[in-house]
Amino acid sequence: MTDTTTSTPTVNTVLGPVPADELGVVAVHEALLSVVPGAEHAYDISMDRAEIFEVLAGKLRDFRAHGGGTIVDSTGMFHGRDVNLYEALSRSTGVHIVASTGMGPEEMLGGYFLTPQTNPPTPWPAEKFADLFTKEVTEGMVVPRVERRGAAGLVASTATSEGMTATDESLFRGAARTALNTGVPVSIRYGKDALGDLGVVLDEQLPAHRIVVGGLDRRDAAAAGAPLEVAQRGAFVALDHVGLDDDDAYLTDRERAALVLDLVKAGHGSRILLSSNAIGVAKGQPDYDLPFSYVVSKFVPFAKLQGLSDEDARRILVDNPRDLLTLR
Amino acid sequence: MLGPISAEELGLVAIHEHIGYGMPGSELDTKWWKTPEERYEETVPKLRKFHENGGGTFVDATGICNGRDIDYYKSLSRKTGVHIVACTGFVGGDTALPHFARASVDYLARHFIHEITVGIGDTGSKAGVIKVGVSRGGRMTELDKRIYRAAARAAVATGVPILTHLAIDARPAIDIFNEEGLPLDRVLFGHVDDGVNAESTPDTWIIEQGGRLGFDTFGYETELPDPPFWARPRKDRMEHFLRFVQGGHADKVLASADANCSPLGWPGVKGHTVNYIFEVLIPDLRANGVDEATINKIFVENAADFLSIRN
Repeated sequence: MTDTTTSTPTVNTVLGPVPADELGVVAVHEALLSVVPGAEHAYDISMDRAEIFEVLAGKLRDFRAHGGGTIVDSTGMFHGRDVNLYEALSRSTGVHIVASTGMGPEEMLGGYFLTPQTNPPTPWPAEKFADLFTKEVTEGMVVPRVERRGAAGLVASTATSEGMTATDESLFRGAARTALNTGVPVSIRYGKDALGDLGVVLDEQLPAHRIVVGGLDRRDAAAAGAPLEVAQRGAFVALDHVGLDDDDAYLTDRERAALVLDLVKAGHGSRILLSSNAIGVAKGQPDYDLPFSYVVSKFVPFAKLQGLSDEDARRILVDNPRDLLTLR
Repeated sequence: MLGPISAEELGLVAIHEHIGYGMPGSELDTKWWKTPEERYEETVPKLRKFHENGGGTFVDATGICNGRDIDYYKSLSRKTGVHIVACTGFVGGDTALPHFARASVDYLARHFIHEITVGIGDTGSKAGVIKVGVSRGGRMTELDKRIYRAAARAAVATGVPILTHLAIDARPAIDIFNEEGLPLDRVLFGHVDDGVNAESTPDTWIIEQGGRLGFDTFGYETELPDPPFWARPRKDRMEHFLRFVQGGHADKVLASADANCSPLGWPGVKGHTVNYIFEVLIPDLRANGVDEATINKIFVENAADFLSIRN
């Protein structure tokens, strides 16, 4: 989309394209307003806009105060994304906000995509998802039934934890085609098989360096050596549950730091991304209000004590996410 | 929508209609978007005509996640003089979004009861009927059954009736209503006349159990230039309906057109409106020898009896 030979490389934020060098420290896998689809209709859940804004603004200011520059809301187009709110938050706090298109896993989709009003009710194929997501970049992100706003900066999808379903595969392929069509990167959260799920996106001929694989600090993936293999294929390795230290399914921060150092030692320092999957405001699900600044203020200093160089730390926090998010 | 009214004021009732229906997620696809100007322009004349034709009450059967829009309905009701009854509940399990699809019977019942007794969202308007239904595929899913059970509990607790989308696979539905102690005359088993499912719907058995039958897809006819897949020949549907109207069950049937004033997530069926009831259906009934008292019974008395809150 962007001709990088003649113009400055840019990233799509909710306030428009921003030169990639201005992003600063980036958190690539976070959630601002995260709403389980349907929760907005629930009798016992309040959606107080002013209160949501205040909570998010406070967290973004904290992130900025700790040196954060850019937050990527990687929850896609159907999990509470509120583009108007994010625009106001970005203006108010000075933090760049990159919003995402995409959906998944299958369970999170509306019936429109799964049981359409046709006979038989055939679920959407990859090409239709590609078209829906592509327009969110080329024409702008939707405010449902009202308007389109700025361009999405990322296309994100997630596979079912028990294993990728047929519709998950359509979503992944649709996301890959969106990236090819528009130049935005793809974020995938794998289901059961990190390399297999990555393979679906690569099969669409999307270059590996346009893909970030999330959840590679899951214990099962780490034990199977998936982080190293993903890096070897050239995709970005997101260790994106930093701060989650008491969940048996995930590495502890100490183990995460060791994994970061192992990957650096193996020559993959340019493939590592760190994030927390923190939730700014959660609706219809438990709160997870780890500060967005946790990676930069707590984890990275700890990793440095373990031996991470300043240069590698900067690469992981600034250069790598910039390279991922820059429109190609 | 504008507060409780007496059953005597309902007048002629269109028992199963939609201001606008869309599958959840269709709001993300701009191909269906219309401006508010277009929506009112498509909708207001249909409701005004309904009112001029003698229509009193429009029951909107659009489920929670299908584009149900209470504030919009209120403005339409106030400006056209048509009473609009909105529902709580879901068209089928496959239209319930994850927050509800994951919920327990108890949570779903509390949600329905809240919408009936306290109000829907922050609108202050209360639901007057509970919508439930069978997912695509024609067999009740585990989620469909959870919704039916929650609806039954809410109906028992509040006295509001239940309206179903499809009446196929009726046995598990009736088992659930019986287990929850809901009298079956509080349930309108809808779409018994639908082209796809009519043959396999146990209509007579449902009446024997005490349920009411909804012949409520009138107008979706194979005679249309571009009929939907659930269309049926007009004559077949009318014969089906008359078997019950003239066979001693006139007090157990209701009729409607299931039309969209302005569809939200599908093209709709051109030319098909709620006014089919006046323009085609009632004249057809007269032509088939159904007298005025029976017509009044179907559209006024039965509807009032069904919609009246039974405490």
